[in-house]
This record gives sequence, C-alpha cells and structure tokens, in this order.
Amino acid sequence: MTELFVFDRELILDRLGGDEEIVTMMIDLYLQDVERTARSLADAFAQGQADAFMREAHTIKGLLATFSDDAGAAKAFVIEQQAKTGEISGLQPAVAALQRRLYEVADVLRREMGSVR
Amino acid sequence: MNTVLIIDDSDINLTLIKALVLKLGECAPVLFDNPLRALDWCREHVPDLVIVDYMMPDMDGLKFISAFRALHGRNEIPVLMVTANDQKEVRYEALLGGANDFLTKPIDRVEFSARSRNMLSLRTGQKFLADRAAHLDALVSEQTQEIRNREQELIFRMSRAAEFRDPETGAHIQRMAYYSQIIAKGLGLDEKVLKLILEAAPMHDVGKIGIPDYILLKPGKLTFEEFEVMKGHAKLGHELLKGSGSETLRAGAEIAISHHEKYDGSGYPFGLVGTKIPLFGRIVAVADVFDALTSERPYKKSWPLAEACKFLEDGRGKHFDPMCVESFLAGWDDVLEIRQRFQDEEVPMI
Repeated sequence: MTELFVFDRELILDRLGGDEEIVTMMIDLYLQDVERTARSLADAFAQGQADAFMREAHTIKGLLATFSDDAGAAKAFVIEQQAKTGEISGLQPAVAALQRRLYEVADVLRREMGSVR
Repeated sequence: MNTVLIIDDSDINLTLIKALVLKLGECAPVLFDNPLRALDWCREHVPDLVIVDYMMPDMDGLKFISAFRALHGRNEIPVLMVTANDQKEVRYEALLGGANDFLTKPIDRVEFSARSRNMLSLRTGQKFLADRAAHLDALVSEQTQEIRNREQELIFRMSRAAEFRDPETGAHIQRMAYYSQIIAKGLGLDEKVLKLILEAAPMHDVGKIGIPDYILLKPGKLTFEEFEVMKGHAKLGHELLKGSGSETLRAGAEIAISHHEKYDGSGYPFGLVGTKIPLFGRIVAVADVFDALTSERPYKKSWPLAEACKFLEDGRGKHFDPMCVESFLAGWDDVLEIRQRFQDEEVPMI
C-alpha cells in the first residue's frame, strides 16, 4: 500500500532557497495543470504510443519529485521504465494508480494553499 | 544583461526555471516548450546560457545540444542540461556531447544558482576575450598602417633626396609614379601590384646619389665617358635597395636597374630585350620618359603633349614595350588629371 502524500513545506522551501513566492507559484501551476497532466497520461496510454506515454510518465515523475513525493515519483518511474521497452499493454492499473496519486497530491496542495491564504 | 535560453516541454519546469533565472539578476530568460522552435531562434540569436531538459518530444536534449553546437559561433556558449537523478548515463552522454554541466531534478535553488552563475561567468570571460581580440586586431591594423605610412614617407623623401641635386622636382616623382600605376592598371594588374608600383616607382633614380655633381649637373651634352658614369646610377640604385625585407624596396631595386633598358635591347645596363626586361622597368620607362619630355627644365622647354605622345608611339617596340605605351595612352584622361594634380613648383635656375 502506497504511503499517503504529506506536503513537507519546510523541505521544499529549503530546496528552493526559502523562496515562498516560488513555492506558491509552483503549487498554483500544479493545480492548474493536474487535470491536463492526468489526461495526457491516459490519452498516450490509450493510443498505445509508447514513446509519448514514456515522456508523460517521465514528466509526472519530475513533477511529483518537485513536491518531494518520492512514492509517487517511484510509481511514475516504474511506468517510465516499462514504457521504454515498448510494451505497455499491462499497465492500465499502474496508470490508474498514478492518476489517483496526482489527484491526491492536488488535494493536499489545495488544503495547504487554503490554510496559508 | 545575459540572455538565458530555457527549453523544457513542461510548463511547470519552464516557470520554475524562469523564476530562478530572474532571481540571479541581470538575466533575461527566453522560454521555449519546443526544442525545434528553440533551435530556429538560436539561428538568429546568441544566448549567453542554455538550460535544456533531456526528455522532450520531437528532439531530446542531447540532440538539441548537438544541433545547437553545430550552428556557427555557438560552440562555446555554456549549456546546462536538466536530467532526473536516475539518468547517470544520460548525464555522461550530455557532457561528452557538448553540455558544460548538468542540473538534476528536483531542482535545488542553491545548486541552480551556483552552476548558472559559474556558466555565466564563463560566458562573460568569453565575451571579454572576444572583445579584447577584436580590439587588439584593430590596434595591430592601426599600428601596421602607421608603420607603412612612415615607410612610404621615408621612401618618398629618400627619392626626393636623390632628385634634389638634379633639377627635377618632387612633383615629377609623384607624376611618374601615378603614370606607372595608370599603365599597370591598364595592363590588368591587381590592386596589390598597383599599390606596389605606386610606392616603388619614385625610387627609380635613387642611384643618382652616387653620381658626381660635375656630371649630374652638367648643363651641356655629356661626353661618352661622362655618360658611362651617369649610366652607373641604375646599378647604384639597385645596390642601394636590393635584398631588403621590404617588398617595396625590392621592387624599387628592380625598377632602378631596369628602367633604362630599351625594348629592342639598345638600353642599359645589360641590354635586355623585350619581355626579358622586368615589367616594372618597362612600365616606368614609359612613365619617366613622358614626364621628362613634358616637364620644363632649366636646360629645355617642355614638349607639347601631342609631340610627347608621338614620341612614345614612334618608340613602340624600339624604346618602349608596345603594350605599356598603349595602356598609357588608353588612360589619357587619368594622365591629364595627374598632370593637373601634381604641378611643378618654380624650377630653380642653375
């Protein structure tokens, strides 16, 4: 069972040099794009485009790592590596799990923004 | 202001890197989410730093770096490649393929700032050296021209010194030099040669320095023996100028020894025939004789121009190289302009 996502604001701030403005900007961007990101992953998978699917997984890996979601990034990494082989047919459950993770992170970040503002 | 080109297909990464670049200060970020469009931009613009993601559609970061480096003048621009932590091989490939350094994701601001500042310092140094090289180039050109100008002035004054004891004038030297250039141009010689003959022709009679006054300044006709001494000025001029490291002086040496040769072999000092006479000598022969004929001297009046031209025409194939005469006459308008421009001062009476 994947651990729940916990937003460690101090860790992110530390990595970004204490810049609250940048952290807030990145959270806003994530929330603006999360639907599109999840959809792009699903579309690439549905169309059987292994290369595009691999890039989407790679992008999500980086995105989740930005918020220090190591568990989520690890899921994306597994999908990325599998997609590299060209064989993606059995990955539907992994895709669904990753999409759920994206939304879970979004919920946490929304609550975070709500408490900050 | 440094131009920082950022290429990443992820909006969030573009925005993050842009914000971090702006925090560096004195930097103007240029953003592309497509590497092909970024490459097009690079054809017309020179960034000071490139930050490029690895995994992108259409063209990955490695291929972008390769294509970017292949553009003229872009080989030295610093490039930072952004990769995930787990892509060691990609990083090695990037470094071998032309990236100067890399950034790992998730991006750390301190690391980003340090690496970017290092790259921008490198770029500042490159621009300083390029400017300095250009500045030194200009300085060297200027100094070289100054040296050439001084060399020319020395040559001219030396030539005038030789003519000083002879009732010739500085204007004669300039006129015959320009006449020589007119002939050379009419013969189709290139710019470099035209410049050379203009600079070297004034030295044709420098050997007269070695001729005793009683012969050089004798108003009447020279005896046979006196003329033999006078003829020595050709070899003397050659001796004075030969073997120099300066191309102009070497050309002057050739002109000095050959401008009294005649096309039919009846000239001196060697009695050379036709094209065995160096071309410069054949050219200066026409220029010098024409100017001598058409100049006022204490011992003679100047010839009318038409008579002087007839003298040249009648001398074709005998005294003069026919091609040189034709070339001179073909440039008649220029000849007249030179006569107008360089007029004799009042000639002193002996």
